[in-house]
Amino acid sequence: MATTRRAEATWNGDLMSGSGTIESVQSGTFGPLRVSWPARTEEPNGQTSPEELIAAAHAACFSMALSNVLAKAGNAPESLSTNATVTFVPGTGITKSELDVTGDVPGIDEAAFRDAAEDAKVNCPVSKALGGNVELTLTARLKS
Amino acid sequence: MPRIERTADVTWSGNVARGDGKISGHSGAIQLLPFSLATRIGNPEGKTSPEELMAAAVGSCFAMSLAGELTQAGSPPELISVDAKCVVDEVAGSHVVTEVQLTARARVPELGDEDFQRIAREAEEGCTMAHLVRGTAAVTLSASLDSD
Repeated sequence: MATTRRAEATWNGDLMSGSGTIESVQSGTFGPLRVSWPARTEEPNGQTSPEELIAAAHAACFSMALSNVLAKAGNAPESLSTNATVTFVPGTGITKSELDVTGDVPGIDEAAFRDAAEDAKVNCPVSKALGGNVELTLTARLKS
Repeated sequence: MPRIERTADVTWSGNVARGDGKISGHSGAIQLLPFSLATRIGNPEGKTSPEELMAAAVGSCFAMSLAGELTQAGSPPELISVDAKCVVDEVAGSHVVTEVQLTARARVPELGDEDFQRIAREAEEGCTMAHLVRGTAAVTLSASLDSD
């Protein structure tokens, strides 16, 4: 069955000097959040941006997928710590999403963890939605 | 060309079915947002999800794109409202983001509907996030002028 999630955004004025708000999201977890072109393309100054939100979506989706791959192989993680960095080049678009994960996973070696992480990178729904369009990179290591 | 980087951090504890996680963005605007599998596919119960974040990313990006295109066409908007809906479905046994549906209303002085529709289509074609998610998602747009 299909799952849907909604968000509402507004914008006042022109692009360069105007500003916008992510008014609300379906879950109520966050919002209102301010956005603006200067904060998106220069220093964020405490404001989120489409790139930060898609980085958040990617890191979250990848982490869930990796926990699933690991659990299926009998090695459910104690914890995973992931960050995603999305690169935006104005005029070109999004060029890259870099995933970096550190796992606390009992009973697994580095190579098996890297294989599981590669599987999750290729197969998580957000990676697939982005995958045809941008470079996806992965760094994976076990917590020492 | 400047390269702009934005980073988000996630921590996840436990297995996929019963574990849960927290999401933060480096800007500080989003901090420790909870998410889990059950609330991703069922009732959200106050937790966000990758798809909700994607809806927020595409919706806010399209609002900026439309503001930019209208300004460039000589008709800067007074107010734009965008509702973005992200749809995930099971396709051949895996979960796939199949659609992002954008519904936009705009208050733009002295602009006719025909010109507005053309500009809105250009904004959708030029929207960075709408382009990005087309790996699997069909992006649709319904746009209307607000006469208030």
